[in-house]
Amino acid sequence: MSKSLAVLILAALPLTAAAAPDPFTLDPMHSSVNFSIDHLGLTTIYGRFNKFGGKFALDTAAKAGSVEVTIDTASVDTNENDKGSRARSRDEHLRSADFFNAAEFPRMTYKSTKVAFTGDHPATIEGTLTLLGVTKPVTLTVERFKCNPATATAKERCGGVAVGKLKRSDFGMSRAIPSIGDEVALTVAWEANKD
Amino acid sequence: MNELFDHPAFQGGVAPLVIALVVGFALARTRFAWLAIVAGYVTMVGLTVGFSFTPLTVARKTILLGLLAPVIGIAADMLPRPSRAIAPALALIAGAASLWVFQTILQQRELSAALVAGTGVALFVAVLVGSTIRLREYGLRGGAAGLGLGLATGIAGLLSASIGYFLAGVAVAASAGAMLLVQVVLGRRIAPGYTGTLTIGLLTALFAAGSLMLAELPWYALPLLLLVPLAVALPAPERMSLIVRAAIFAVYALVAAAIPILAAWYAAHGSLT
Repeated sequence: MSKSLAVLILAALPLTAAAAPDPFTLDPMHSSVNFSIDHLGLTTIYGRFNKFGGKFALDTAAKAGSVEVTIDTASVDTNENDKGSRARSRDEHLRSADFFNAAEFPRMTYKSTKVAFTGDHPATIEGTLTLLGVTKPVTLTVERFKCNPATATAKERCGGVAVGKLKRSDFGMSRAIPSIGDEVALTVAWEANKD
Repeated sequence: MNELFDHPAFQGGVAPLVIALVVGFALARTRFAWLAIVAGYVTMVGLTVGFSFTPLTVARKTILLGLLAPVIGIAADMLPRPSRAIAPALALIAGAASLWVFQTILQQRELSAALVAGTGVALFVAVLVGSTIRLREYGLRGGAAGLGLGLATGIAGLLSASIGYFLAGVAVAASAGAMLLVQVVLGRRIAPGYTGTLTIGLLTALFAAGSLMLAELPWYALPLLLLVPLAVALPAPERMSLIVRAAIFAVYALVAAAIPILAAWYAAHGSLT
């Protein structure tokens, strides 16, 4: 009896493993978290965060997944860190309490609540962004997604690009609106290795 | 019209000045005239970040204490038998309150760094509040101190990459300047009492500490701010007219305010030129 049970459990193990989502870890060297925002109604300022990390899990068979990304707010970079003759650079100002308040809120996090698929690929990621201590829903649209299978020398690797929009005032970041726009466009490009 | 309301000069300077003048003149014959300071500050807050209090950030705790300070000040002013212990007690409470304001930042630091920063900020807030409260009987000196401390913390805040603290400091300066004007126009001194001096001292101390903790203000600018209340305590000829005495105290305050501003400039530029 006990032998039959053990055989049954062993037989079921591969099924259990197949049903579990595959975990991936973001590769920061080949990923970027970018944003853009209107300035004075004249142009668009582009920026990025240089320090972040995250994981996602994917189960294409079950069409399920999850994403969690943590971003170091002090790593904001708008290619304007050289203040020249001015008192402070734009990036120093962005780190201050007027914007990202990096001393008080050193991290912002994005956690998915639902990943919707089109075919085998994730199409939209619904989730919540926590910024400045405020958590609000933010939906990302996956514009491209592809996985390369594992080889003899490399693990399975997936990559993609997701875009989304948010209103910074929803998070209490309301300084200098409307001179600096309220709507922020996000573009997250990533590659990740299967754990 | 919206463009006017969105302009920093209107938000931090013109609007607080006008509101403080209205409140100052309206309440000039009462002991509440120095509510003009908090009225000017609140005007700036309303025109910029508004009155949301969740989550309770450093900036929002500062606004809350700014609203609470005149309430405590009025209570202290209305005590039938004022005690000598009130001023030092208020200074110590203000220092302790600053630990609550910056608690979220201190908690993220290593224990030794948090102890140094917390003790330094609490001590600074207590001493600046105590120094400002000492001016509670003197309308012109109190107004000049508010003018100097507001400008010093505001401009130093701007040099430290914070528009928020710039607007806040300038709003207090404009409101204190308004109270100087009210006294000059009416031709009589109006003692700020605890209502005015606690509000000025606590707000400007928290602005400076905030610029240190949340922006780039160097620590050595903080003790230099203490020169402002010391400077306005310098003597001025009694026989001169009110307007001349107001001008003299304002000059004292502005000269002293220039020193912490220069410190912030030095930190930003690496030189004084």
